[in-house]
Amino acid sequence: MTSHTDAIDARDIANLSHVRDLFGHADPVPSDLAERVKFAITVHALHAEVAELMDSALLTTRGAEAKVEPTPTDSVTFTAASVSLMVSAGPADSDDDDADDRVRVDGWVTAPGAQIEAVTTEGSSTVISDANGRFVLDDLPHGPVHFVVTDPGNEDMRPVITPTIQI
Amino acid sequence: MTPTPTAPDGLGTLAGKAFAAYRAGERERLSELVDLVTPVLWNAARSQGGAPATCEDAIQTAFLQLVDRADSINEPAAVLGWLVVVVKREVWRLARGARREFGVEEVPEAPAQQLDPEAQSILSERQRVLWKHVSTLSPRCQELLRVIAFADRPDYAAIAESLGMPVGSIGPTRGRCLQKLRTTLGTDPGWAV
Repeated sequence: MTSHTDAIDARDIANLSHVRDLFGHADPVPSDLAERVKFAITVHALHAEVAELMDSALLTTRGAEAKVEPTPTDSVTFTAASVSLMVSAGPADSDDDDADDRVRVDGWVTAPGAQIEAVTTEGSSTVISDANGRFVLDDLPHGPVHFVVTDPGNEDMRPVITPTIQI
Repeated sequence: MTPTPTAPDGLGTLAGKAFAAYRAGERERLSELVDLVTPVLWNAARSQGGAPATCEDAIQTAFLQLVDRADSINEPAAVLGWLVVVVKREVWRLARGARREFGVEEVPEAPAQQLDPEAQSILSERQRVLWKHVSTLSPRCQELLRVIAFADRPDYAAIAESLGMPVGSIGPTRGRCLQKLRTTLGTDPGWAV
């Protein structure tokens, strides 16, 4: 006979793993819950304004499960009260054989000298827009990305954060 | 109670390390924490009987509170338990539509676990047998087993405590809930393979 005062053994661990499979199967964690939590934390921590997605050609917003082929030059526009941002994604120009694995983002923002941060699964890359508001982020990974726009010259401007898109 | 050292890097330990690093300035480690603990928190929330949208809101709120209070949390190593407590409380608060916050002691006990008919229809034969047995346990045991099943052995005692179970109810000893599950499964010829 076993007792509740015995140490947890392999059978108990196996039983728990069956319980885990049962609930994991019948009531799975929503697939994008963790990403939405991270996004909410970022918005909250930055006291940011969330930009609205205005239009998207072939890039898909998060939530659509469709696989996105790396079709070049599809653009997306985001608009917030203080700033608009347009980005287009295409293959990174590189001589490497595995260049297909990387994405180049060409963008334009209505604020020259703004800092644009691209947050991807690998971390974040930062660039400053030129006098015309143009910027390039080369060498990004495929997958989810969102952008955070801040103005280093204007402390009063609330950061603007975009919804996550797939590139 | 000191967890058994069989798996020093249980979920709770990993979560504690990520959170400590976040507090020390490695801001990106917060993502790691979210990825690690979201399955446990989802099951802690859903086991209270909250609707999916309520549970998602509760989990989001718990993380935002964690960020706001990050520096005032006494034991960063115990962050998993902290989150479980807040999530459980938030689900109840949201479900009641109440303005005031519950104290930990006021949080009602979880109801018996429910699976909607659609979810039950996708279970395998063996999962259906298991579900039948899990349903016979007390609601407290159902809640406890559901949540700890998504964590690691060294975390059981702390999670049980966060859910409001008496100290010593599980880990390192089996405790009554695991014992009951073992017994009821053991008496079912349909379960033994």
